[in-house]
Amino acid sequence: MVEKESSVKGLGPGFWPFTGILTVLAIANIYYWAVTPLSRWMPTAVTVATQIDELFRAFLAVGIALFIYILGYAIFFSVVFRARKEDPPDALGVQIHDNHKLELWWTILPTIAVLLISWASVRVWFPIQIASASTPAGLVVESIGHQWFYTFRYPGINGEVTGNMHLPVGQAVTLNVSSEDVIHSFWVPAMRLKQDMVPGLINVMRFTTDRVGRYRIICTEFCGVEHAVMNKQYLVIEPKAQFDAWYHGWQVRNATASNALPQVSSAPVDLSDGSAAAGQVLFSQKCSACHAIGPFTQRIVGPGLKGVLHDPAHPNLLSGKPATPTNVADILQHGLQGSYGQMPTQVQNALTDKDIANLVAYLNSLK
Amino acid sequence: MAVAATHVGGGIADHVHPEPQGFIRRYVFSIDHKIIGIQYLITGFIFLVLAGLLAEVIRTQLMNANGGFVSNNTYNEVYSIHGSAMVWLVVIPLMTGAFGNFVMPLQIGARDVAFPWLNMISFWMFPLAGLMLFSSFLMGAPVAGWTEYPPMSLQGEAGTSMWCAAIFLVGISSTLTGMNFMVTILKMRAPGMTLTRMPLFVWAQLATAPLSMVATTALAGALAALFMERQFGVPFFDPTKGGSPLLWQHMFWFYSHPAVYIMILPAFGMISEILPTFARKPIFGYKMIAFSSVTIALAGFMVWAHHMFTSGLAPFMQLPFMLLTFVIAVPTGVKIFSWITTLWGGKIHFTSAMLFAIGFVVLFALGGITGIFLASVPTDLHLHGTYFVVAHFHYVLVGGSLMGIFAGFYYWFPKISGRMMNETLGKWHFWLFVAGFNGTFLPMHWLGFEGMPRRVAVYDPQFQFWNRVESVSSYVMTIAILLFFVNILVSLRRGKKAGPNPWKARTLEWQIPSPPHYYNFKHVPTVYGLPYDFSEPLPYRGLDDELTDAPAPVPAGAH
Repeated sequence: MVEKESSVKGLGPGFWPFTGILTVLAIANIYYWAVTPLSRWMPTAVTVATQIDELFRAFLAVGIALFIYILGYAIFFSVVFRARKEDPPDALGVQIHDNHKLELWWTILPTIAVLLISWASVRVWFPIQIASASTPAGLVVESIGHQWFYTFRYPGINGEVTGNMHLPVGQAVTLNVSSEDVIHSFWVPAMRLKQDMVPGLINVMRFTTDRVGRYRIICTEFCGVEHAVMNKQYLVIEPKAQFDAWYHGWQVRNATASNALPQVSSAPVDLSDGSAAAGQVLFSQKCSACHAIGPFTQRIVGPGLKGVLHDPAHPNLLSGKPATPTNVADILQHGLQGSYGQMPTQVQNALTDKDIANLVAYLNSLK
Repeated sequence: MAVAATHVGGGIADHVHPEPQGFIRRYVFSIDHKIIGIQYLITGFIFLVLAGLLAEVIRTQLMNANGGFVSNNTYNEVYSIHGSAMVWLVVIPLMTGAFGNFVMPLQIGARDVAFPWLNMISFWMFPLAGLMLFSSFLMGAPVAGWTEYPPMSLQGEAGTSMWCAAIFLVGISSTLTGMNFMVTILKMRAPGMTLTRMPLFVWAQLATAPLSMVATTALAGALAALFMERQFGVPFFDPTKGGSPLLWQHMFWFYSHPAVYIMILPAFGMISEILPTFARKPIFGYKMIAFSSVTIALAGFMVWAHHMFTSGLAPFMQLPFMLLTFVIAVPTGVKIFSWITTLWGGKIHFTSAMLFAIGFVVLFALGGITGIFLASVPTDLHLHGTYFVVAHFHYVLVGGSLMGIFAGFYYWFPKISGRMMNETLGKWHFWLFVAGFNGTFLPMHWLGFEGMPRRVAVYDPQFQFWNRVESVSSYVMTIAILLFFVNILVSLRRGKKAGPNPWKARTLEWQIPSPPHYYNFKHVPTVYGLPYDFSEPLPYRGLDDELTDAPAPVPAGAH
């Protein structure tokens, strides 16, 4: 049985007027992205960000225009070519199988579009990832990811810088990133740049700062239970004079810090041969800024630590665990966050396992 | 045995097994591809409900910038299992296991798949793996997302090892199914069904099968290595012991990028069946659609490192992966244009299946367009690891794959059950789902651009407004899916009798009773052409007895 086949005049009713409407919308969209800088939503802090934004805007212009046509024709054809009540129940659509000319065009045009997209991408990609490697390094800074904060190393400053990362404005920077534990990521949305911080690997970011401001540094690789709040530090881009003042402050503060990377393991520290005398020296260097050698109530930042292991009034530590050498070592190793503020970790304090054993021996000797 | 079989069409396709008796052999440890397909369907939907509830835990937590619904650690467990379950226990098994099993052998005129016993074994690995995956909640579920990057996953609790074992098992199931389908399609087509006469759903399964076979083995290797490192300290990935974290990423994405196509190619096939049926006209550009499926499957093997642009690849390595990824846009575009042109000049019947099919084309297109932003290295450096990525892959996997599953379900439900679904509920399902879906995932694009990273249990309060819009929309989506399940239950009991071919479709499965007999075809038919020429007589011979009282074929060895 041959059913009733329908026929369509030309491209169907209203095709060209509707195509005109879609084209007007598409052009309006392209114009919008041509004149709207993305810094409206997110400022740019480095020079490459502007070039990356241009690529973004090109993609937005072309991508949304393409979507306007796809959505438009899907709806338009659905409406125009819907089966109607008056149609016989066995009515058929136009029995066409293909149109080689049309199919050739919609293979060739996307191919050209892909070539253009490739060209536009490579044009931005090449200077960021390849050419920049052969230009002068500028200021070389290191950032190391930890669970769950960033530390920084600057040439001429001993040890690690904690807190915010400062850079002078108008400065070419090479930022080497790595990690000390799991994979983290160094993302400053205002830079439009991101690199994963992979343990055992040094990844490089190169950029030139061009706008004064405070920009959030955000971790985008899942790194553990506090991953979501690994966004509390800022990249501070400031005039050279302010940067220099900050830099000298850290030079003085870290004058005696060790440049050796601390030996870190998550295994419990071996406390068997700690030296109380060595611990006493360390305590004055590393701990006395926040802890007094006095009763529990003699608080500076943290509580006084005299008799911390032998105080019948305080059988438990602030971590909630019994006051034993092992549990004290645990706090020294992993830090503590609580009502008394934040106790830094072993890494932040640049303590070796041996240092911890010495400190615990010293604290244990205080009765 | 095979010699004793009655030969009409000839070949192994004509081999008839005796119908098994008893509930266990029939419905539990069945070797019938149709029962196994239904088993996959039911199991997949159960996991869809469980993983969907986990999604609602995620959205409820994100209602407030500072969370508070569950603890951060629970949140991390929940989204990890949500992602893993949706990929491995819902979309892949439904695409290949359920629809592939039920529909594909019928469409090629076969009596079963090539290896029915293997098919049964493949199926039973799947619920077992699902139980194992969900049981990881009892021992501390994995927290590092469905990608489980080490060294983070080395720190995870015992459940992470269980995760490895569960995914390994479901991976074997997927590999075996791929092999089974590949042999079935290449060796068991009815006489006359040349490759270029196959329905496009079969083409899609043929393009998917080698992906399941080859890519999944890389995943199995990666999982075995992670398991051994976690349990026995063999240092594959821990850099402090000489391992490489990037090794995992390469192996994982060498599987997981092709897996994206395992999850979407079968949906392409379903859409290519549904659009012509309800537009009452041939699919536009049959050969280009079939060919582009194969091109996408092949190219899909060569783009995996585009997931690693920020991981520390050598910069020059970024170039080929970026350009090859762009190339995939061409065959994908060809498909989308062909589908839209299929609508042109049609007599379109807006059944629920058709609505979901058209919705698929539009939403999948948007997911494809945002893929360009992520494929280009400079823009990916900004977007990687943000909510933009979450938006992109949900447009592909929910707007694409899940919409495809719904479309396919409404389309083949009459064949599977013999009853029609309720169209009013179906339309409510469609419109609520599309509204809820876009409300949930569209804002994620700009949230990601503006600085919201993915996998966070709490977030910056500046993002709270849109997150609340998303959470409320996700509840609308849940209501839509609830209506879908209500529809299934109501229709199974009260649905109108469907008859063999309620949609007047032309592929082989619609020429036999609904539900089909155990042996599928009384005589294996002979095929003379493509199934899309609506104005021509059906291109089959040997089907005259299918809807009559003619005797069933005699099983091999029964006499």
